[in-house]
This record gives sequence, structure tokens and C-alpha cells, in this order.
Amino acid sequence: MASKTSHARKKRIRPLRRIVQLLVLAVLIAVPYYSQNPADWSPSRIVQGQMPQPTTAMVTGDTWSFGIGDFRLMNPVAFVEGWVSAKVIFLPALVAVLIPLGMTIVLGRVFCSWMCPVGLLLELNTKCHAFLKKRGLSREIAIPDFRYLILAIALILGFVLAFPVISVFDPPHVLGRELMYLFTHHEVSVMGVSFLLGIVLFELFFVSRAWCSSFCPSGGGLSLLGMKRWWRIKMSPEQCIHCRECDAVCPYGLEPMGLADQQNFNWTKCENCGLCRDACPTGAIAYSFEPRQQQFHDRAKGGN
Amino acid sequence: MSGPCLTRRDFLQQTGAAGLFTVLPVFRQEPVVRPPGATRDFLARCIRCGKCMEACPFDSIRFLGVSAGALVHTPYIDPLKTPCYLCQKRGPDGKDKPLSKFLRCGEACPTGALVKIVNDKEVLGKVPEQYKMGTSVLNRKICLAWQYDSCGECYYNCLLKDKALRDRPPGEFLESGTGVKPYVDPDYCIGCGMCNYVCPVRKHIAEVLMRRDRKLTLFEERYAAMVRNLIGRAGDNVKMPAIRVIRRP
Repeated sequence: MASKTSHARKKRIRPLRRIVQLLVLAVLIAVPYYSQNPADWSPSRIVQGQMPQPTTAMVTGDTWSFGIGDFRLMNPVAFVEGWVSAKVIFLPALVAVLIPLGMTIVLGRVFCSWMCPVGLLLELNTKCHAFLKKRGLSREIAIPDFRYLILAIALILGFVLAFPVISVFDPPHVLGRELMYLFTHHEVSVMGVSFLLGIVLFELFFVSRAWCSSFCPSGGGLSLLGMKRWWRIKMSPEQCIHCRECDAVCPYGLEPMGLADQQNFNWTKCENCGLCRDACPTGAIAYSFEPRQQQFHDRAKGGN
Repeated sequence: MSGPCLTRRDFLQQTGAAGLFTVLPVFRQEPVVRPPGATRDFLARCIRCGKCMEACPFDSIRFLGVSAGALVHTPYIDPLKTPCYLCQKRGPDGKDKPLSKFLRCGEACPTGALVKIVNDKEVLGKVPEQYKMGTSVLNRKICLAWQYDSCGECYYNCLLKDKALRDRPPGEFLESGTGVKPYVDPDYCIGCGMCNYVCPVRKHIAEVLMRRDRKLTLFEERYAAMVRNLIGRAGDNVKMPAIRVIRRP
């Protein structure tokens, strides 16, 4: 069909994105796997003068906070949350947050589409959702965007109660933590697993990508940070044939085709996943990388 | 019950200026031993990232469950399951060598909830009070060494042997020829829980004689009969093992 021509014309971005997502997932599994200590120990072996063999892996952490030796990365939302609840800035954390923060400011909310392991899971889940929908087993309901509200409440709660709230339920971190539990102590927490399962089932039977578009507080935080990003999709109106292929594939229903007609576009929610770019049969949608996109996009942004 | 609990005052200090809200039932207080280097505002700084658990070379660090309320997913050490080995590697000559320059959990912590502690036995014995995991407390009434003069495992296996645990209490008269009489020096004890781990005075050791399904380990063979005897004498509501790590307020 039409997508064949786009194959020939330009390289699709989705395979690359899948590779990055799977790499992150592989790291998430490999890190706790190689840091575990397989031997089970008893006091009898200690009193005979033996000690367990230590496993010292250099790589630790997951998407919330990651470290290779002294090189560290930290999710900007985790940093802000830690700052708000502890009311002090820890200097190594400030250094660790620079790279992810810069990435988010320049490239936008790419963590969600390119790295988040739960995002990958939910993206694959949309296929099942579509399958069920075709058979009338699931239905669509409209949910407003609660992300900023949840973020604000969590930060205020964290400030008042003095403990980080989002850290407890941020889904990619919950997944990473469950993998840590699973490999390190061979157990999983019921709360974490049921939370992830709850999200997957809700999206399966009700709204696909509901968590990412309406509830995720850390995604909301990254959206706010990436509001003025340089890397965006760009629509050339003269090439657009108004086929609505892009509107159909957008996971959040943002309707990128409206860009051709200078309509409003929710730039904060767009995560540069590139699905609309891949779907466009004429190649009207492309990525653009400019520090300031005054002329075209700000007009298109309207009252955003 | 007094002692091992995280008291309300302790909790308030740890959470900073939380005030009124800490009396909410979600903040269920758990008697826990934190990893070494936990600061006063540990709970406010800890972002529950789990890196200390992964960095721990012996998988000693565990995470609290949902029942802990707001303390959920914060790290703790259960010395009865796995003690803190203070990041030491035992060579073939029986001597311990530090694995890394700093204790690895503090090294991995991204927010400074656990401070870095230099991994040197001289330093470890003298870390400031607030960064210690706790202190071992010995109950002489159920101690095999004090009652039957026939144990001393805690003394022999202490990672800070002759500093944190001594074989004679200072200033107490003992006849010559008596065996090890363990004494905890609270100034040096960092609370790693090794003594807690190797103490044979545990219920399952007392019950092991009744089991016929497996061969007894050397440890069980050596102590089972004595422990059963001792526990029988001490009564039911005694806290085991004889030497336990208690987190200080």
C-alpha cells in the first residue's frame, strides 16, 4: 500500500527506536542478574571460617538512577523529587542529572518513547488492545490529562511529608525494582507486580496508552522540561495529502495532520516517537532540529 | 517492647520537619537496621532506587514491603538472614581484605542518603554514632558462653574482633581457664550483625534434633542439644538469639 513508498523513500525510525528500547530492557535485566549472589549461606559455613564469594558489579541501577562506577545518570524527576523532599541538593546528584536533563531539554520527552521499558510494554499492548477492540471486547473512554496534577500533588506531598512519593510508584522504576528483587532475593513484591499488571489490563480493556498520556507523573515532569525542545516533527503543508494516516497511528491521538492546516498541536505531550513520520505516505512529516522554531511552529502552537 | 523500634522521635528526626503528618497511620514504624552510613534525614533523601541492594556484594540489603507504609522500598538489613560483611573479602590465609575503597552501598547511593564510609577496619570501628547500623546487645541469660562456658562463636567471627567484641568483659573478675565470655564494646560495634547471624541460640536450632529428614550440619550438631536445654530453662517469651543488633535512637 501507501506505506511501501515511504519504505523506499526514507528510512523508518521505528526499528531504531525498538533497538534502543530493547537495549534498555536488556540492561535492566542484565544488571541485577550479574549483581546477584547465587550461593546460599548458613552460619555453619561462617563458623568454619568461610565467607561467601562477593560479586562486585560496576553497573548498578535502572531508569530512575543509573551508575557505572562513578559515572552516574539520574532521572530529572527523581532529582527534583529528592531535592523537594530532602530540601538539600546533593552535589553528585546534581552532576548526575545534567546529561538526562540536557537530553530532555533539547530532545524533549524522548525518555518515554525511546527508553522507558514500560512504554515498550504498553506500546506492544496497543496491538492486543486493537485486536480486542475489533472484536468488541474493549472500549474507549476519554480521560483528561491528569499528569501535571498528579505530579504537583506528589511533589507537595513529598515536600510536606518529607519522603519521595513518585519514586514509590513510577512504573519503569517499579519494573526495574521488581527485576532487582527477583534476581537478588528471588522474590517479587505483590504491590509492584499488581500495579504494573493493573496498568496493562486497564489499557488492554479500556484506553490504550492511558497511563502515559493521562497519569504518568514522571512523564509529565519530562514533558514540562522538554516544552522548549529543539527536536520536533515538522510538517510540510504542500506535501500533505490529508490522508489521516498520521492521526491514526499517533499513540496519544494528537492529530499531527492538523499541523498542515496551522491547527493547535499539543507539543508538550508529543514524545518524538516518530510513528507519524513513518506512517506518512508522502514524507510530509520529518524531524527538524532547530534551536528556535518561531516562524512555523509557534504559529501552529497557538494557545497551547 | 523497648529498644529496637524506630521511635517516634527518631522518625521525626529522620524525616526532617515533617511535624504533624508523621502520626498518620501510613507511617507504620518498623524496627529496622539500616545499611551503614544512613544519615539523620535518610528517609527524605532515599529515592528508593535500589542501587545499594545491587551494589551490595553479599546481597545483605533487603527492601521493606508495603506493610511499612511510607517507609516502603527503603533498604534495611536483616542480620538473621544475611549480615553485613562490611565489604570484606576473606583470603585463603583467613585474613580479610577490603573489597573497595568505600563501603559499596554508600558509594552507590545517588542522593547521599547513605554516606561514604572508608572501608578500613580501623575506621569502621570508629564511625560516628549516627552512621552506625546499630549496636549488638548481649543477653547473658541465654548466652551459651556465659551459661555453659562452651560457645564464643560471636567473638571468633566478629569482623572487628577484639575491638567490637572482646573475650573478657573489662573490669569483671573471671577465674583463669574459663572460656570466651563475650563482651560488646558499644564504642566500636558498628552493628553489622555477624554475631547475630552466627549465634546458635535460635529456635530452629533447638528444634533441629527432632528432624530426621536430613543430616545435621556441624554447627547444629555442636549446639543443638545445649540450645534446647537453655531455651527450655529460659522460658518462651525470651528474644532470640542471645546477641542481637539494636538500632540506636
